[in-house]
Amino acid sequence: MGFGIGLGAEEYDRSYRDRDLVRRVLAYFNPYKKLLLIVTAFLFAQSLVSALIPVLSREAILQLELAEDIEQQRLYIIFLILITLILNTLGWVFNYYRQTLSAIVIGDTVLDLRKDVNVSVLNHDMSFYDKYPTGKIVSRINTDSRDFGQTANQLSQTASSILLVGIMFGVMLLINVELTLIVLLLVPFIFIIALSFRKAARRLTLTGQRALAVVNAFVQESFTGIQIAKTFRQETKLFGKFKVVNKQSYEANLRRAYLLNIIFPALSTVQGIALALLIVFGGTATLDNNLTAADFYLFLQALQLFFFPLFTIASFWPSFQSGLSAAERIFALIDTPPAVKQNDEINARDIQGEIIFKDLDFSYVEGKDVLDKEKPSKKEKDTISGVKVFDGFSLNIKSGESLAIVGHTGAGKSSLAKLLARFYEYQSGDILVDGISIRNYNLKEYRQHVGIIHQVPFLWGDTLENNVKYAKAGATTDDVRWALEQAGGSDWVDDLPEGLNTNIRERGSLLSMGQRQLVALARVLLENPSILVLDEATASVDPFTETRIQDALEKTIKGRTSIIIAHRLWTVRHVDRIVVLDHGKIVEEGNHDELMANPDGVYAQLYNTYFRHQSLEYIERAVDLS
Amino acid sequence: MQETVSKSTTDRTKAEFSPEEDKFSRVRTSSRRWIIAHLLAGPNKLIVIFVFLGTILSSLLGSGLMVLIGVAIDEFSDGIRTNLILYALLFFVFAVSSPLLSLLTSLTRENLAQRIEKDTRHEFYVSLLGKSQSFHESQRIGDIMARATNDVRMLNFMVSPGLSLLFEAVMRLIIPIMFVALFYPIELLTTPIIFTILFVVTLRGYTRKLDPVANQLRTEFGAMNAVLNETLSGIEVVKGSTTEYYELNRYFTNAKGYRDAFVEQGRIMAKYIPLLLIGLAITVALGHGILLYIEGRMTLGAIISYVGLISNLRFPTFISIWVFALIRLAISGADRLLDIMTKESEIDENLTGVEKTIEGKVVFENVSFAYPGSNKKVLENISLVVAPGQTVAIVGTTGSGKTTITKFLSRLYDPNEGRILIDNIDVKNWSLQSLRSQISYIEQDTFLFSDKISENISFGRTSSTEEIQRVAREAQADEFIEQLPQKYESEVGERGVQLSGGQRQRIAIARAFLTDPRILILDDSTSAIDSDTEDRIQKAMRRILYGRTTFLITHRLSQIRWADLILVMRKGQIIAKGSHDNLLRTSEEYRKIFVKRFNLDEEKLLEEEK
Repeated sequence: MGFGIGLGAEEYDRSYRDRDLVRRVLAYFNPYKKLLLIVTAFLFAQSLVSALIPVLSREAILQLELAEDIEQQRLYIIFLILITLILNTLGWVFNYYRQTLSAIVIGDTVLDLRKDVNVSVLNHDMSFYDKYPTGKIVSRINTDSRDFGQTANQLSQTASSILLVGIMFGVMLLINVELTLIVLLLVPFIFIIALSFRKAARRLTLTGQRALAVVNAFVQESFTGIQIAKTFRQETKLFGKFKVVNKQSYEANLRRAYLLNIIFPALSTVQGIALALLIVFGGTATLDNNLTAADFYLFLQALQLFFFPLFTIASFWPSFQSGLSAAERIFALIDTPPAVKQNDEINARDIQGEIIFKDLDFSYVEGKDVLDKEKPSKKEKDTISGVKVFDGFSLNIKSGESLAIVGHTGAGKSSLAKLLARFYEYQSGDILVDGISIRNYNLKEYRQHVGIIHQVPFLWGDTLENNVKYAKAGATTDDVRWALEQAGGSDWVDDLPEGLNTNIRERGSLLSMGQRQLVALARVLLENPSILVLDEATASVDPFTETRIQDALEKTIKGRTSIIIAHRLWTVRHVDRIVVLDHGKIVEEGNHDELMANPDGVYAQLYNTYFRHQSLEYIERAVDLS
Repeated sequence: MQETVSKSTTDRTKAEFSPEEDKFSRVRTSSRRWIIAHLLAGPNKLIVIFVFLGTILSSLLGSGLMVLIGVAIDEFSDGIRTNLILYALLFFVFAVSSPLLSLLTSLTRENLAQRIEKDTRHEFYVSLLGKSQSFHESQRIGDIMARATNDVRMLNFMVSPGLSLLFEAVMRLIIPIMFVALFYPIELLTTPIIFTILFVVTLRGYTRKLDPVANQLRTEFGAMNAVLNETLSGIEVVKGSTTEYYELNRYFTNAKGYRDAFVEQGRIMAKYIPLLLIGLAITVALGHGILLYIEGRMTLGAIISYVGLISNLRFPTFISIWVFALIRLAISGADRLLDIMTKESEIDENLTGVEKTIEGKVVFENVSFAYPGSNKKVLENISLVVAPGQTVAIVGTTGSGKTTITKFLSRLYDPNEGRILIDNIDVKNWSLQSLRSQISYIEQDTFLFSDKISENISFGRTSSTEEIQRVAREAQADEFIEQLPQKYESEVGERGVQLSGGQRQRIAIARAFLTDPRILILDDSTSAIDSDTEDRIQKAMRRILYGRTTFLITHRLSQIRWADLILVMRKGQIIAKGSHDNLLRTSEEYRKIFVKRFNLDEEKLLEEEK
């Protein structure tokens, strides 16, 4: 399948030893150790009560058999019945606390886990997001963590079951040793059967979870690109793929469900054999008057109470596998080291904005930690890592300087901006800002000083005002107005249904592309960065708006280091210096006039081609162009 | 040829989308009806019946065992030895057939559960595909994802183990009581019957309390998913603005909301009254039995069996806590699915509408439009006539409605007032399939699916490699594609990250060459292409307009000069229209755009025109 719907592991997936996995799972429950102990105690008490009731019934019935002093006997029976009643009520109370507390433990653990995994995901750099579909990551964080929470129940149930099995075993021994030994002979079979499911359970659960993540990712992509699919009538194609993805999830989860459903009937068969054996031996014993009828009855009841927790213990390991496999998926996500790592926490509050790129080497693939299980073939790998964006790139930008970077598509213009913003890790060489490697700054402070305006603006499903002050939560409405004004005027805002309070919907879909860019620009201006990067920022706006933005920008770039990445050369004529990039190398630099002085230079040619397109002569010719 | 192509795709779409649409659309009025309809659809009905019968039988076996134990013990106490082996055998048969039966029922039940998950997700997805663009724009994708994966899964859980446990609970409630009625003095029915009445009453109270919490749980999950998805989609902005902490907080608030709902659900489940009642019932039953024994109307064995039978009621009591929580969650999930599915898709497929090759005449008649839920008109009173094959350029400031105007043609939106005619037929009367297959968009920001380049060009059509390469060449896209490691087989990332805006645009042009549409909409106001390739792209664009009605949203003078008609827009209105020469003379707005844009001398411009 070519479209990423396979069930293979992600590159960051890894296998943990069960022991390590269990230890880490337990570590998550550690803060709730006391609560979990109380839950187990209540569960145990509750089970004990249910176990005691038949014992009391037996006592009552035994009294009937004795039948000597009717009056006293009656009182005793009434007493027993009262105790049964009290025990039952206690059982309810125990259950109440158990359920309430275990809900809290599960709820809190899942919340902790979700928080941790979200923190680690947010710490990843862009290379991670380029590679792994958002939908699959979302599925891990939200869906798998829920499976993980269920392990709390399993743990407390197993713990109380172990206690209960011990007690019931004692009760059975008290009643009759021989019968108990018969039962004991069957116990190993139960464990052998249950444990034999372990591996398959883990594997099938993992596949099931992956399949669901694939569905999640597919739905996400379908509806992110729904407009294009609609205009090209591609619903059928999407639908065809969806059917494959959906069926894959169906099959994977059905196989898992089948397997897990075999365990209990298999165990029950052992129980059935035990019961039949007991009837023969116990019945004989009763007939031979070695066993009272009541004892025999009690033994049979005890047997049921013995087997049930025994099954819970035996099947613990197989059913714990779904929790473990969820844990494995989540821990893998948490443990993947982000490629971008800071070496130091140098204060970056007063950055002036001098930038030095020194012998920089960078390619998009190599920066990643490849933990791949299904490694691509050697040959394939060579071709991928062969794409080097920069090889020994050097460039100095003075503080306060405005610099334009021009060049062909794929020359590395945007990569330079992304490296500067520390979105990707470079392989060798260095980037120094104010003489300090950007690897050594406090990343949060540093990034606050680098404002980037992207080619395609991303906005949030929130009000316009909140979108503008996204990077500066304390800003007032006046600040927001000011920023919009700086970004080329805010007159259009009043045409919106609710002005600044209009919810512009996910991705800002209520606004036109140009308006979205104005908002993104205002957002950065409000942040007041000392380094401003415009990555083809005006490409999405119409020329009329662009002129307004240009006028505004000429004011705002004063006093800060600005990097302007542009292909529309007329927007860069006024900058201090222009750098022409080609395949990651500087081929020309100088100001507009200097560069134009060399008519054979790349810049002059680019410029002339560009302006030729805008010249009236070209335009007239274009009418006939076909 | 055009006609045959569109016709065959129409048939395929009809065959795949329609049946499901019809089957369940009538029962979408209530989630219960809808769930039941799914349970009873086709072969599912047989599985439900099988699970039902299997459950009855295994409950009968369970209760029968109790009676048998009583009889056996009575016989053993009386010293009757003859039937010992028979009992052992019977017990064995009971004990082995019961798990076997439950294995069979659970396997078929699982089959049903997984199939229902698959089918409802399928239905949901199909319904989403059929929704209008304005609907999709009003939805949060993360929430849609939650519905399609997790809410659908709730239906699975409801069937397995929910459904069979429900049957089992009912059976294990009725059968022991039946046995009591059959084998024991009639007054012993008092306890179980009073218990059952109280059980049903308190159970209803329980599910009522569960109802709002279940809804809240599902809604919170959706919100949590939506926030996370949005954060991760905009991660570059999050990092650039260093708002990771803010985003984390936003997620945490939602995750906490889910946690609180979960804990609240636990509290309600804990306060489950029937559990108290069953303890009471067992005690009373024991007392009642002893009373009858003393009166000499019951044997010891009978008491044991009777109390055993009443104890069997523990199962339905206990399991109902869980079963009804599962059912409630499934209903809440179904509500959320239906909520989306029943939202009227504003635009219907119109399968019986006009299907023919478009000539290309386009007429707008007094078209006005406002986004749903807003009174503010985005477009006002647009009237326009375009002859077949003409090129119309649309210019204007950002937010003036340039892009919106083109979305009515293929009915991504329908106007609130006025109408749009293509070849003198209202677009509403065209078959949507026929209409859309003949109209193409080349968008500002071309979205590419995570797929191969070749797939992104052919987009579902069965096209030969040669054909794909030919259109890529025509769109001037072949050069950069050939430079990619795996050429046409290269995968494009989730958000098409590896390709620049200009490259994506050329893929879109190639796509349009392949579809060969009758009406083309070229949204090129971004001009996100670098200069050196511009020449070739201009050529490609010029070529693609040829012989079809084209709407060009652009500010490149060169492209505007291709236009037969130019529309100047401001604030949702056409303030001027005409040819370039004409507009330069008559429209100040038009002049302003170009004078400022090109630093041209206004007078010189006018002069040259003369």
